[in-house]
Parts: sequence; C-alpha cells; structure tokens
Amino acid sequence: MSTAERDTELTATWDPYVQRPGNDFDALFVKLKPECEALIALYEDARSALIPMAHLFQEHEGFTSPNALAAVAHLLEQPLAVVESTISFYSLFYRRPVGRYMLQVCRNLSCIINGAEEIMAYFREHLGIGHLETTADGLFSYEEVECLAACDRAPCMQVNLRFKYDLTPKMIDDMLAAIRGGTYAVKARPQTKAPKRTWKVEAETGRKSAGGVGVSNPNNAGGVGDRSGVIMLDRIVNDAAFAARSHERLASEPQLRPSAGDGGHH
Amino acid sequence: MASPVVEVLTRGIGELNLRDIEVYRSTGGYVQLERAIKELGPQAVMEAATGSNLRGRGGAGFPTGRKWSFLPNNGRPRYLVCNCDEAEPGTFKDHMLLEETPHQIIEGILLGSYAIGCHHAFIYIRGEFQDGFEIMRDAVKQARAAGYIGKGICGGDYDLEFTIHRGAGAYICGEETGLLNSLEGKRGEPRLKPPFPAIKGLYGEPTVVNNVETLAYLPYILRNGAEWFAKAGPERSPGFKVVSISGHVKKPGNYEVPLGTTIRQLIDDCAGGLRDGRTFLGVQPGGGSSACLFAEHLDLSYDFDTIAKAGSMLGSGAMVVFDDTTDFVKASYALIRFYAHESCGQCTPCREGGNWIQKTLERILDGRGVDSDIDILMSAAHEITGLNLCALGDSIEPFLGSVLKRFEDQFRAYVQRAERVAS
Repeated sequence: MSTAERDTELTATWDPYVQRPGNDFDALFVKLKPECEALIALYEDARSALIPMAHLFQEHEGFTSPNALAAVAHLLEQPLAVVESTISFYSLFYRRPVGRYMLQVCRNLSCIINGAEEIMAYFREHLGIGHLETTADGLFSYEEVECLAACDRAPCMQVNLRFKYDLTPKMIDDMLAAIRGGTYAVKARPQTKAPKRTWKVEAETGRKSAGGVGVSNPNNAGGVGDRSGVIMLDRIVNDAAFAARSHERLASEPQLRPSAGDGGHH
Repeated sequence: MASPVVEVLTRGIGELNLRDIEVYRSTGGYVQLERAIKELGPQAVMEAATGSNLRGRGGAGFPTGRKWSFLPNNGRPRYLVCNCDEAEPGTFKDHMLLEETPHQIIEGILLGSYAIGCHHAFIYIRGEFQDGFEIMRDAVKQARAAGYIGKGICGGDYDLEFTIHRGAGAYICGEETGLLNSLEGKRGEPRLKPPFPAIKGLYGEPTVVNNVETLAYLPYILRNGAEWFAKAGPERSPGFKVVSISGHVKKPGNYEVPLGTTIRQLIDDCAGGLRDGRTFLGVQPGGGSSACLFAEHLDLSYDFDTIAKAGSMLGSGAMVVFDDTTDFVKASYALIRFYAHESCGQCTPCREGGNWIQKTLERILDGRGVDSDIDILMSAAHEITGLNLCALGDSIEPFLGSVLKRFEDQFRAYVQRAERVAS
C-alpha cells in the first residue's frame, strides 16, 4: 500500500462545516449527536466524554473511523490531535475495520501455564491468521491479549467482549462452526467497511509513537538490532564479549521479525 | 484442618441473585447507608474506616481512613473514584464482585462519598468488562429509582451524582493518576507525584481513589463495628480479603479469608491443593507484580506486612501457584511481555527496559540465547526498578528476578541447548 493510500484511509471524509451530500456519516452523526451530548453532560469537563463517545461510535461503525474522531473533536470543541492522542493509547479502539467477531485470547501467566499456547496455536491454525489479523472473509479478527481477570477458569478468551472460559479445542470447533453458521449466541459486531488484513495503523506505517503502541512496534528502540534508543543498557552492550556475540548474532539475523514484539512461541 | 473461608463480601454469591436490589436489601443491603445518613453522620463513617484499619485492597495496601484524611478543607469540590480497572495478572476478584454483587459496591461508594463529603462519585470499569458494565448500569438505575442516588438520599439532605465510566483497554489506568487522566479523556499516563490525588486529583480537585473491594467492606464495617474488622487478622494488617487463587491447583477461584491465614492453608484448605502427583515449586502471592515465594514460605501469614518482609507483596491478593510442570522461562516471558506491552512509555527505564528484557527472553526461548543474556536479565532490577514515575516499571523485575535466582538452571538449560545446536 502506498503512503498516499494509507493517508487517505486515515483521513476523515466528513467535516462539520463542509456539506458533502451523500456522505454516509452525516446520518450517523445526526443520530448519535443527542446521545453524545448526554454523555458530555455527565461530566464537569466535557473532555471526559471523549472515550465514552468513541465507544459509542465504534459500537455503530465497528471501528473508530477517522470520521468518528473528527466528530468527537467537533463535539468537544477540541483539536483532532487531542482526540487522536487519546484514542491511540487504548487497545480496545480499532483504527481500521475489523472482523464481525473479535476473538481475543488471553496470553498472560495463569492461562499460559494452563495450556493457552495450545489454544492460541489452534486458533492460528484453524483461522489461518495470526495475532492482530483478520480473515479474508471479514468474519474473524484474532488477537492475543493480556490478562482478562478470569484466571480461575483458564485458558479464557473474549468473543466480542463476552467471556468464554475453560477453553478446549472442541469448544473452539463448535464456536467457529456456530459463528459461521450464524447460530452463535453472541451478536456480531457491525461492519460498515470491509476489513483489511490488520487493523493496527502503526504496524504498517512504522509511525513511532511513545506509549503502549510503540513498545510492541518493531520500529521502536530496543533489541540488539536497534541502537537508536539505547540508553540504559549501554553498559552491557559496550562490554566487549557481549559485542562480539551480538555481532555474530546480527550477521545471522539480518532483521528482527516484524511480529517479534507480539508473537507467542508456537 | 477446617477451612478458613469466611463470607462477608462473598455471602450469597452463587445462591442469590444479588444483582436485584430487593434481594440485596433482604440481606441487609442499604441499611447501613440509611443509618449513616439518618443517625451517624459523615464523621462516624470516617472514624469507622480509620478505626477498622482497613487497608486498600487494590495493591498498595494504604490505610483507607488515612487516605481520606489527606483531603484538604479548602471548600473545593471533592471526588471519589472507585477503581474497577482490574487487570493485574492473576487477579479476578473485582470481576466477580462487579458481576455478582453490584449493589454492595454502590453502597460502599455511597458510604465513602458521604464520609468525605463528595457529591459526584465515579466508578471506572475496565473496557473488557462489558457484562460487568451492563450489570452495574442496571444496578445504578435500580439504586437511583430507590432513592439511593441523586438528590436527598434516604430522605436526608445528602446529594450524590454517580457516573459509570468505561475504560478502553489499558492496564496502566489501574494506577490512580493514570486512571484520573483517562477519566479526564486523556492518555492514561500516570502523573508526577506529589501532588497526590487527595490534593490535586480529578479536574485538579481533591480526589480519593479506592479499590472496589476496599469500598465494598465499608457497609460491613459499619454493620459489625470497626472492632470486628480490626480484630480479624494481624493487628497492623487486619480484616478480610478476597484472595484470587489460580494456576496449578485443583479448585482455582476466589476465597475470602481473614488476613493472617497461612499461604499453605490458602492453597490446601481453600483451593484443594496441588493436582495429584505434583510437587510445589512456587507461588506468586500478590499478582503479576509480586516476587515469587517458595516452599520455605508456605507457613507465612498471608498479610501485608509479613509478605512484604519476605521480599514480596500482598498486592491485589492474587495467588498464582506453580507445580513442577512450570517452565519459569515461559512464565517470566508471559509477565515481562505484559509489562512491556502495558508500559505507557513515559519513562525510559520502563519503556525500553521492559522491551529489552522481553526481547532477551524471546531470544532465549527461541534457542538463540547466549550466556550473557542471563546477565542482561539479572541487570533488570538495577537498571529498571525505582527509576520510574509509577509502580509499573518497578513491577517488571520482581517475578523474573526471584525465579531466575531460584531456577537459574531452567534459564541456563535453554541457553545451553541453543549453544549445543549452534556448535
């Protein structure tokens, strides 16, 4: 994808001050505006309604679209950058369209020591996709997430934010079949736009941002392949024996894998 | 030995539909709120919290009454925020309390707000708790209809607004100042302290942030008296605690016990002991941020001070038990990856340090590890801990450091395997 294409994709087509007849977002904005105003009224400071409003738009569009961000900025009378900076911090806001079923499997401690790796491998194999990816038919998105606070019933996951406990391959088979057959109990997410392979903006554009997003970004500092942000571990890295080994390792490993920061070991 | 389990917050869970306000009321619910407003007055509630020596159940264990007493009398509005952003690895008590007994939480929030003179309370619920959010929304609707929220609560002259705020997926928002930033519609980045929230919190006003479980104990402290709570468990660390036990035990779950119960009792008498034929290797006593304890610690009293003295912490009261099937390299990796992922990125030692340790462990697990990688892991305590704005950075190392010291052979074995393959 070219840079130009990416930029268009992340740019709002809706503008509160410029009428563009036929823009689908107009109707949604008019519909949700009263609800947004009610959210704003809940707080002493309007900006507190930023995250609740983003949730609201995402519940209708399936992702936090550039138009939704523009609308939130407009309603809060804040610059778009304020909204962007907040939204980009939170992992439950999807900046690009995702699947109608968001499958989020826990990869944290209690699940890992109770067989979560097998569950994750099973999902990857049976869906044919990896972490942070969406199936070609747009039905499933898959993500390995952090502790979901259901450790007593590990391994656990959420399907469109509804818990599913004590996972087994058989349960996964039944669940995927039920979703494909349209008989699954959990409602599908709305999907106003066809998803692409991933919904993460950073992974593709390589934009570096401080924060939760940046740390799992292969372009971020850290790791032996990147000296740009090395501050604290200089002492070790400058050690001659370490440097020699590091050098060897780098020669056999020209590039860190793009998913190095996120992939499990399977 | 008899089970140490008690039922205070957990009473009726699994038997009664406590989401229904009438059922909650039939168990004595909202009686203490009414009593506080009609008879006791705010000062008495404040004294009950102080007298019971109720320490925060969210992780830091700070005395609740003392926290409240820091609020300045400057005539400014005050806020109370209930922290339900439960995301500490291994912890699942607030999840249960939120879904099973929402009114108990509401009554606790109301009592806390009344005590400190707050007129707008918030509950911050982590974004993943969609069910819990909906359950709380219904419960608040019922409580409002019954006259417990709004103007002139229980016919008195106390007014309180109550707002449920849903997060959007960020562990760091469980840190109280990160939470306040998030509640203000900002990135959930912790603030520099001081000023502490009691002086300058939400919207720059005096604010108290209390954990769900902490507040939920208030009605019972009022009902049974501060003495009742203070007398249960060790003097400086009294009361009851819902302990989340998971990992390699027969019956993982939430068990409410008096503090001072031993770790062994918790594992054997509550959680059914280890799976058959397995031996005990370690236990993480207080969530993902706590150092691992071992067989020699099993008879320690489970309370804030004893666990801290043993070099770990009680934290949120989440125990993860490890038997001899545990791969501690993988276990460490799961936690380190979590902290690297959840670092807000403000402080370099935390942002870069977590990432480096993660990559180092990844290399070891991938069969590309070298001896000096172990040295990098060992440097984490010195290079990361204590150098950050909040406790997240300090939480990266404890577990890794403790199991690396005890099970260094497991880490070395990975490296040696790698070197054998390479040669």
